[in-house]
Amino acid sequence: MAVDQTNLSYEHPLYATMDKMPGITVATTTVDMLLTWGLKNSLWTFAMATSCCGIEFMHANGNRTDLDQMGSVPRPSPRHADVMVMAGTITVKMAPRILRLWEQMPEPKWCIAMGSCAISGDFYRDMYSVVPGIDTMIPVDVYIPGCPPNGDDLMAGLKRLQEKVEAQRAGRWVEPEGRPETAKAILPALGRVIDRDGTQTERQLRACQSMGLDGNEHRQSDLVAKSAGLLSNLLKLKGR
Amino acid sequence: MDATLREALAARFPAVDLDQDVLLVPAADHYPLAALLKEQGYTLYVTVAASHHPGPEGDAFEVATVLRRPVRGAPSVAWRVVLGADPHLQSLYPLFPGADLQEREQLDLVGVRFDGHPNPVRLMLSEDWVGHPLRKDYAPNMPHAPWR
Repeated sequence: MAVDQTNLSYEHPLYATMDKMPGITVATTTVDMLLTWGLKNSLWTFAMATSCCGIEFMHANGNRTDLDQMGSVPRPSPRHADVMVMAGTITVKMAPRILRLWEQMPEPKWCIAMGSCAISGDFYRDMYSVVPGIDTMIPVDVYIPGCPPNGDDLMAGLKRLQEKVEAQRAGRWVEPEGRPETAKAILPALGRVIDRDGTQTERQLRACQSMGLDGNEHRQSDLVAKSAGLLSNLLKLKGR
Repeated sequence: MDATLREALAARFPAVDLDQDVLLVPAADHYPLAALLKEQGYTLYVTVAASHHPGPEGDAFEVATVLRRPVRGAPSVAWRVVLGADPHLQSLYPLFPGADLQEREQLDLVGVRFDGHPNPVRLMLSEDWVGHPLRKDYAPNMPHAPWR
């Protein structure tokens, strides 16, 4: 049997088996499609709802944007669920519990970061008690930005996840979703130690120096000014 | 502050200036003052709030407590206690069981210990947390949070 090696994809183990055993090609493909269909249309969700996005998640399961029509049923136990919907702010105290619940979910499992707090911590990012984003702990498949995202956004995110599941099952390469916040540098959280106008007491300076910092890390304007200066220098060089 | 309460306070705590909005009392008078106010009908424990005041001569802490009568329109009585670098104060839990969680909150966030509290453990932050975040010299970039 002449097989064109260039277009073969071995991402899924079923395809390697099919290549070795040509007689079952049709049957396995069909079963695989059936399994894919079943999997992607029964993405049961586990609502890891820690704050107000959780309310929006409940609303999304209500009768206006009915997630049941996509086969997505909220489950109270992580052991029954395929998708963890991380909806809300993650505190440092809650983080180990979230990780444990994630580890209790059976494979295959996916994670949706719903809302800007779950994505990056948003305006609680610099707080001492908040984890800046769920993807510091758990691999995230779909990011749904918004504060909070409404039910339609959650539906669109679940649809994206279904497409991703389908592509993964078919052995296609799926580009991982980028964190919407990657463009912004996450600066050290020193806003509470140092005054915003730059005046700092001797004591605050000592607190910074005890951590190996010089106390100027929070000044984003300095960074911007520096990078702008670099850019103008580069442009001058290019002009010459 | 009505006249009977003023008389009772002046008789029991002659050193306290009763014209202040928030009475400044010594730490030893904290519990007796609360007991006296409870006898006078101030049975509603409103709040306790501690604050940290770093200075060149060392740390200072201030604990403010508010009580009021459970009557519509009744005025409240607030007093504050100034503490030194190792802040500890007698717990009001024996008088007001509602002080339980509030004093634990101050212990957690500011680090003021309340002597005689039945369960002096952290309320909000995790059990292995290092430091007290509402102190002015608290550094958020501490090694207890690996993602920082």
